[in-house]
Amino acid sequence: MAEVSLHDAPFLELRGIHKKFGGVHALRGVDLTITEGKAYHLLGENGCGKSTVIKIISGAHEASDGKIYLDGVHIQHLSPIEALGAGIETVYQDLSLLPNLTVAENVALGEQLVVGKGSLMRLLNRKKMNESAREALSKVGLDADWTLLNATVADLPLAIRQRVAIARAIAAEARLVIMDEPTTALTRQEVEVLIEVVGRLLANNVAVLFVTHKLEESYRIGGDVIVFRDGLCVTQGPLEKYSRTQLAELMTGRSIESVRYRTGTPQSKVLLCARGLSSGNHFRDVDFSLKKGEIIGVTGLSDSGRNELAMSLAGHVPLKKGSLKLDEESIMIGSPAEAISHGIGYVPEDRLSEGLFVEQSIYLNEVPLILDRISAKFGLLNDKKGRMAASDISAKMKLNTEDVDLPVGSLSGGNQQRVLIGRWLSINPRLLILHGPTVGVDIGSKETIFRAIQDMAERGIGIMIISDDLPELLQNCDRILVMNSGRIVEDLRAQDVNEDCIYKSMLGDNQMEFLE
Amino acid sequence: MTRVHPMTDAENKTSTVRARGNFSLLRGRPELISLFLLGLICAAVAWINPAFLQGSTLIDMARASVVTGLFALGVFTILASGGIDVSFPAVAALAMYGATKLVLDVFPEMFMVFIVLASVLIGTVLGAINGLLVHSLKVPALIVTIGTQYLFRGVLLVFIGTVWLMELPPQMIAFGQWSLVEIETSTGVTVSLPVYFLILPAAAVLTWFVFNRSLMGRAIFAVGGNPQIAARLGYDLRKVQVFAFAYAGALAGLAGVIQASANRMVNPYDFAGVEIEVIAAVVLGGARITGGTGSVFGTIVGVFLVTVVNNVLVLVGIPSTWQRVVVGTFILLAAAFFVLRDRKPAH
Repeated sequence: MAEVSLHDAPFLELRGIHKKFGGVHALRGVDLTITEGKAYHLLGENGCGKSTVIKIISGAHEASDGKIYLDGVHIQHLSPIEALGAGIETVYQDLSLLPNLTVAENVALGEQLVVGKGSLMRLLNRKKMNESAREALSKVGLDADWTLLNATVADLPLAIRQRVAIARAIAAEARLVIMDEPTTALTRQEVEVLIEVVGRLLANNVAVLFVTHKLEESYRIGGDVIVFRDGLCVTQGPLEKYSRTQLAELMTGRSIESVRYRTGTPQSKVLLCARGLSSGNHFRDVDFSLKKGEIIGVTGLSDSGRNELAMSLAGHVPLKKGSLKLDEESIMIGSPAEAISHGIGYVPEDRLSEGLFVEQSIYLNEVPLILDRISAKFGLLNDKKGRMAASDISAKMKLNTEDVDLPVGSLSGGNQQRVLIGRWLSINPRLLILHGPTVGVDIGSKETIFRAIQDMAERGIGIMIISDDLPELLQNCDRILVMNSGRIVEDLRAQDVNEDCIYKSMLGDNQMEFLE
Repeated sequence: MTRVHPMTDAENKTSTVRARGNFSLLRGRPELISLFLLGLICAAVAWINPAFLQGSTLIDMARASVVTGLFALGVFTILASGGIDVSFPAVAALAMYGATKLVLDVFPEMFMVFIVLASVLIGTVLGAINGLLVHSLKVPALIVTIGTQYLFRGVLLVFIGTVWLMELPPQMIAFGQWSLVEIETSTGVTVSLPVYFLILPAAAVLTWFVFNRSLMGRAIFAVGGNPQIAARLGYDLRKVQVFAFAYAGALAGLAGVIQASANRMVNPYDFAGVEIEVIAAVVLGGARITGGTGSVFGTIVGVFLVTVVNNVLVLVGIPSTWQRVVVGTFILLAAAFFVLRDRKPAH
C-alpha cells in the first residue's frame, strides 16, 4: 500500500515554504504542487518571490521554514547537486553558462557530476560527454558538429547560448525543467523553436515550469498558471480559465485596463530626417522622419539591423553613409558624446551592464549628464544641488523610494529603468531612443514607464522605441517601422494594424537579397 | 522528423567560430605568442653566440627551470580556479626547512623518498590552510596569501630555525647529485643533468592529467570562469578551492626539497621575491589573472621563456641588469596582445 501511495504522489510539493533574507520576508508560506508532464507558468510582478521559489526548488537557497517533498518523500535539505540528481534542471535568466568552457562541457559535464554525486575526484569521460552533448543539442535544433561542441561559449551569439542552456537542462534525465524568462532575448523565430522543444519535453512526461512576463507565449503552451503576489501564491489553476486582465489584476492586486496609452498627437514640425543611412552590413538605405512629439516604434528580427540603427543614431555604431537632419540642421554623429551634445539620448536594452552604475546610488546614477549644472566653482560638485536635482528626477519618475542614496542595484527592474529614463530627461533631450524599455519589467512598472513616455512626447520630445514587444509598440506609438534584412520594409500607422500583420513583414521573404 | 532548421543557425555558428580568421588560433592558444618569442630569442642568441647550443648551456637551463616550473604549475592551477597565491615561496621554505630539520634532528636514516614526501605533505597542509581561509573568509586570495606568506615565514623563523643548514643529510646530497646525463665541456668541466630534472615533466604530465582527464580539472575551470554559476550547477566551491591551493602547496613543497638537495644547503630566507617572477611566467603562458583560462603547455612555455631570458642574455653580452627590462617588456607586450585578442570587433 505504502508503495502505491508513493507512486501516486506528485513529483514535487512545497508546503508552507518561508524564506527570509535578513529582515525581508520574501516568501510567506508558499504551497506549490508540480506533476510530471505538465506545463506551469509562474507569473508575478518583480519582487513577488518568483526567483526565490525557483532558487529553493533548484537547491540554490535553503528555505527558512516549510517542507519539500519529492515523489512524496520529505527532503530535509535540498542542495544543488541533490536537486539535479532528482532531475530538477533550471535554465536561469542569465543562462548560467560557464563562459570559458566549451559547449560540450557546458551541456554535459553536469551529468558526470551528478553520477558521482558531486564528487570531483573522478575521471572525465569525454566520449560520453560529447555523445550526450550532441544528443541534447540536436533536440534543441542545433547541429552539433565538432566545431560547435568545442566552441567556447563566450564566443557564441546570445540566441545560440540560450539554446545551449536549454540543451544542458534536457541533457540529463530531467523530470522538471524550470525556465526563468527564457524568451526575453529571443526573436519570434527562436521562440517557435523553444515552444517546440517544450512540447517535446511535455510529451516525454517532463514537467516544465516557466517564469515569464509574456502571456502570449504562455497561452500558446497552455497548462497551469501560478500567480505570486507579495511572497504568496495567490492562484493556481488551468491557464485557459483566466483572461489577461484577470491575470494582471491577480498579479498587481488592482485592476489594470488594457488600453492604448498613446494620447497626444505629434506636432507638425519635423524633428529628425534620415536619408539613405547605411552602416556596414547591418542596415542600408534607411529613410525615415520623425516629428516633434511623435513616437515611432522600430521592430524586426534581432538580425534585421534595428539594434544597429538605434545604436548608430546614439553614436555607438558608426554610420557609413547617409545624411541626418535634426531640426533642419545637418548633423554628424561620431560618438555617444556627440549624440548627447545634439540632444539625442539613448536608453540601452541591457540597462544593468550598459546603462547603470549598479553599485552606485540612485543619486549618482541620475545626475551624470547634468554635472555642469550641479557643480560650483573650479568644477567641484555641489552636493546639495546634486541631491536636489536627483530628488527632483526621482519624484518626476515616480520611483518607489525617496532615498537617493540607495544603490540602484537594490531597485526592481522597473524602477531601475525609470532612473535611467530620468537621467536623460534631466537634459531635456530632443530625441530619446528607448531600446527595449520594458524588458524584464513587471506590469505595474510598465504602466508607469508608458505614462512617462507619453508625457515626454507631450513635451515635444521625439521618441523612438526599439522593441520586440509588439503590444507595447501598438499601445504607445504613432507609427511602427518594420525592418527586415537591414532595410525598412514597412511604415505602418499603429492604429491601423495588428500584431499579425507586423509579424508578416518582419518575417518577409527577402532574406537572400541582402547577401547579393 | 520534419523540423525547420532556421537558416541563420549554421551561419551564426560558423561565422562566430570563424570570424576571427587568422586571429582565431591565437585567441584559442595565446601561449603561441610566447612560444614564438621563445623561439626568436633562442634563434637570435644561437646566431650571435653558438655556445648557447652547447649541451652544457641547455643543461644549465633545464636545471634552472625545475623549481620555477614546479611553482608555476601550482600558480597556474590556482589562477585557473580564479585565485592567486603569493605565499608559495614561504610554503616552500617552511616545507624544505621543516623536512630537512626533521631528518637532521629526528630521523637521520630516513629514505630520500620519505623526505620528499614529508616536504610535499607539509606543503599540502599549508596550501590547504590557504584554500580553507580563502573559501571561508570570502576574502580575495591575494589578501589571504599575503597574510599567510608572513605567517608561514614567521612560524618557520620563530619555531623551527633561523640559521642556514650547511650540513645536509647525505641522502639529500646524493639525490641532488644523482646524474642522468653527463657531458664534458670543451673546457674539461663535467656538467650533469640531474635525475630530479625529470620531476618537472612528470609534474607537468600529472597537472595536465588533472586538468584534462578528471572532473576536478574541469571544475577548477568552471569555478575560475564564474564561481556563482558553478555553485548553482552543483560544483562544490570549497572542494575546488581547497584542492587548488593544496595542490599548489604540494608542488611548492616538492620544489623546496629539490632546491635544498640541489644547493646542498637550506636557507630559511630562501625564495623571497620569486613569486612575481613565477606569476609573470604563468601569465606569459597565457593564463589570465582573472581565472578560468590557461594551459599546462603554456605555463611550461612561460617558464622556459623567463628562464631563458634570465640565463642567456649574458651569453650575448647583455648585462644581467637588463633582464628585468626585457621581462617587463615581454609582459607588457603579452598583456597588450591579450587585450587586443579579447577586444571583440565593433558591432
